[in-house]
Amino acid sequence: MPEVKQLIVDENHPLFDKTGMFYKEFPSDFRQIRYFTLLIVQKAPPEIKEINLLEQQISEIIKNAVKHGNKNDPNKKVRVWYSFSTTHAHLIVQDEGEGFKDLEKWNEFNKLRMQYFYAKNFDELGKYVSYRTEKSDDHDGGNAMFAALEYWTEGVVFNNARNTIAVKKIFPQKRLGVTLVNP
Amino acid sequence: MELKIRKHGEIYIIDVSGEMDLYNSFKLKELVMKMLEKKVDQFVINMENVDYIDSSGIGALIFICSTIKKMNLKLFISNVHGSVKKVIELTKLMGYFPMAATVEEALQKMGG
Repeated sequence: MPEVKQLIVDENHPLFDKTGMFYKEFPSDFRQIRYFTLLIVQKAPPEIKEINLLEQQISEIIKNAVKHGNKNDPNKKVRVWYSFSTTHAHLIVQDEGEGFKDLEKWNEFNKLRMQYFYAKNFDELGKYVSYRTEKSDDHDGGNAMFAALEYWTEGVVFNNARNTIAVKKIFPQKRLGVTLVNP
Repeated sequence: MELKIRKHGEIYIIDVSGEMDLYNSFKLKELVMKMLEKKVDQFVINMENVDYIDSSGIGALIFICSTIKKMNLKLFISNVHGSVKKVIELTKLMGYFPMAATVEEALQKMGG
């Protein structure tokens, strides 16, 4: 089985370097999560393929901050640092919540999920498609971070308080194989 | 998101169009639950006109799929494409969901 990616806790991780990043902050208004996300994604260059997917992946992280971090409390802010280019997307999202306490449990759950996935055991996999806690409600898919670990190629990292998450993706570059000839 | 139902013999096709996100995905769940109450036992969820899905949408599909599997009824999800397909792949659910390339293929698989 290939090595299973994990959520990391490391405050000194290079992904927490905010140098040169844009910044915005939002109130924790659940109704406006996709709108806030659009305000951030509009800084992404149009050359990025699958901008829909980038938008979706960012909205999941903002949703987690608004809902699971700040519990939809409009007095609590979500702070977002972001930078985009044709080759990368980098995002840091901070909430005012108590932090992702179940992170180790989540990693364990995800390890089992991947074991059954690689074994193509779809019956058992069925028990691990959604991560739920006593705080989950009907609207929680319980699957956002599974995709996040795959999407954000450079890692999904939390600070020690676990209320700040940093993620980064490097976009694969197309090699066109064109040789330019000087005139 | 818009949901429309059409019928092919005993099979009910739900045409989903628009974006399946955190604000509306529960509607698909509710619709399927109502149809189950009315003893519908063969479903095709047609995703041809869905270009955006998030974890709530995936969650709705997981809920529907596991409910229908438990009841031993029939379901296919058809025409998954673009970023919707990408999200399902990232979530490693391509093998978990009963997929069909088209509605026709779903109907064919259902009949068999």
